Amino acid sequence: MSTCSIGDRAPDFELADSAGHHRLADLRGSPVVVAFQPAHWDPSWAEYVRAYNRLVAEIGGEAGARLLNVVGAGDWHSLTFDHATVELPVICMDPGPVAERYGVHGGPAVFVVDADGRISWCHASGDNPPSPNEVAAALAALVPEEPAAPDAVRSQGWSRRQFVATTLAAALAVAFTRRVARAERVPRTPVPASAAASRVTLRVNARDVTLDLEPRVTLLDALREYAGITGPKKGCDHGQCGACTVHVGGRRILSCLTFAVMQQGKEITTIEGLAAAGGATGDALHPMQQAFIEHDGFQCGYCTSGQIMSAAAVVREPWGPADDDVREAMSGNICRCGAYPGIVAAIQSVRKGSATDQNGGRR
Amino acid sequence: MKPFDYTAATSLDDAIRSGARPATRFIVGGTTIVDLMKLEVETPEHLVDLNPLGDSDRTLSSVTDLPGGGLRIGALARMSDVAWDARVKDGYPMLSQSLLLAASGQLRNMASMGGNLLQRTRCPYFRDTATPCNKRAPGSGCSALHGYNRSHAILGTSDHCIATHPSDLAVALAALGATIRVRGAGAERSIPATELHVLPGAHPEHETVLKPGDVITAIDIPALSFAKRSLYLKVRDRASYAFALASAAVAVDVANGRIRAARVALGGVGTKPWRSTAAERALVGKAVNATTFRTAANAAVAGAVPRKDNAFKIELAKRTLVRALTEVTA
Repeated sequence: MSTCSIGDRAPDFELADSAGHHRLADLRGSPVVVAFQPAHWDPSWAEYVRAYNRLVAEIGGEAGARLLNVVGAGDWHSLTFDHATVELPVICMDPGPVAERYGVHGGPAVFVVDADGRISWCHASGDNPPSPNEVAAALAALVPEEPAAPDAVRSQGWSRRQFVATTLAAALAVAFTRRVARAERVPRTPVPASAAASRVTLRVNARDVTLDLEPRVTLLDALREYAGITGPKKGCDHGQCGACTVHVGGRRILSCLTFAVMQQGKEITTIEGLAAAGGATGDALHPMQQAFIEHDGFQCGYCTSGQIMSAAAVVREPWGPADDDVREAMSGNICRCGAYPGIVAAIQSVRKGSATDQNGGRR
Repeated sequence: MKPFDYTAATSLDDAIRSGARPATRFIVGGTTIVDLMKLEVETPEHLVDLNPLGDSDRTLSSVTDLPGGGLRIGALARMSDVAWDARVKDGYPMLSQSLLLAASGQLRNMASMGGNLLQRTRCPYFRDTATPCNKRAPGSGCSALHGYNRSHAILGTSDHCIATHPSDLAVALAALGATIRVRGAGAERSIPATELHVLPGAHPEHETVLKPGDVITAIDIPALSFAKRSLYLKVRDRASYAFALASAAVAVDVANGRIRAARVALGGVGTKPWRSTAAERALVGKAVNATTFRTAANAAVAGAVPRKDNAFKIELAKRTLVRALTEVTA
């Protein structure tokens, strides 16, 4: 529970910031979100990033923005959004005393601070952080609707309010606090000093994504939980189901059985980037995606992104022409709905279509 | 998963030095080690990534011709690349087949040739840290001896361990008489493929003759003209993407209806890749017929020790070998 009230001036605190901002007060002039995350979550940074990605992803779903890139050194990041290339600050820090001054003694808490530095909204009760939409609404309420939205914004079908809410909600000041006093914490297995998170840059779907990751974070977890790229699915997490299939350097691999830190400098493609990697533009699908739709290659859809990624690579591998060759080639992708006949038909249609293509026909 | 620190190897010498530290593991494809780290069967404190070595020395990650015939397969080469290599497919079909019948397309794109040889057993008790296992926790006992042991070995077992060696590739290499090139603290050395793995005996935790820091650099496949007529036959619970219940790697040199030379190894039934020179002796000089094959099959499984659930493997291994010999000489 918080002792701060709506309308109070937000307690000032130091920012560990390399971009020239030294205190929260320096951000006066634009709204800021201050988020407190209990550090007993382990690994704490994973939870921070997860909460952060949830904010961006959920709000993005409404307004069409998409987190593509987190860059920058130290505790100050900037974000690039899909259509709008908006630079946004993210402040992350670990000031136990700051939480106390905000009256936060446990659990997650989020404060929306207006441009004048006053608390306009807060959520400081319960075990869960507020939904991203609640935060977005609180931010939107701070921004008056303007009739003259920039053309670029209007053309995307966004209202100015949505646009501002989207961009500002990502301007998070995240402070970590301790739910339990350090002295009372259960001693943990000592972590080797070098096991700490380090900056890892992945090239995903033709964009660089920079993340703070421990070495033990698999590529699958890095994509899903840290970068917010949720197309690759976690089925078994042990290399037995194929739901996590992605392409690295154009080859299909299981993202659950490799560490993200090992995949730096490689071209990683997920289902989100498959169509573009195949040369499609706009909303056009990859031929394999289209074929799965046309041939009912799925029922519940959970394994489908892995099936399609695997299939898109299979057509480039030197398998024989028979249906049985397809079944053998695809045996690493399990479908518990049993959509196999449709999957085989879809893949065969693309393989035969490719042959037509080479003869000058239409794919 | 336990935390660990990660280093990308900068040179082979560096890798060997770092690899010799306690609680250190090498990683290449990751398909075994990452899985076992998630289960906390493997809990390395240091992980050394050998992949960068393949970028600076292409022979470590590719297939090259040996001067006197034969092939050198870099230890970092991926299973799929070796399986589809024309020299491997044409000259050593059993090798290509053993790779393509293993794992899945995605795993074969990841898993390295060297790592394949060092993959750990699929014994469910080894993978379950809640149960005793002499291989995982030396001296804790073997849960498989009197547990559910349908998938376990019938050859090379001991009272301490009956875990099956899971590699298909290693079975083909045993039959082909391959040698494993290893770099360690001293000079590079060559180990016959059949001597890389050791029997469990009283110390199933020791699986190979490798020492800490040793790096497999290559697998040398000798020139063997009759390997063109070879076959890897794998019998599984399902048609694809499963470990062998029994498998046979065979190469046969036939002239005028008689067998001049033969290579035989069995998989899925041994605690290590199981070359059977007894079966080979039973074939050489004999006529190509069912009786010859059946005699060889009996020789191959001589001394097999069945357990509660895996006695079927004796007959299955024999039939697998007979069928493989029949097909390859047809």
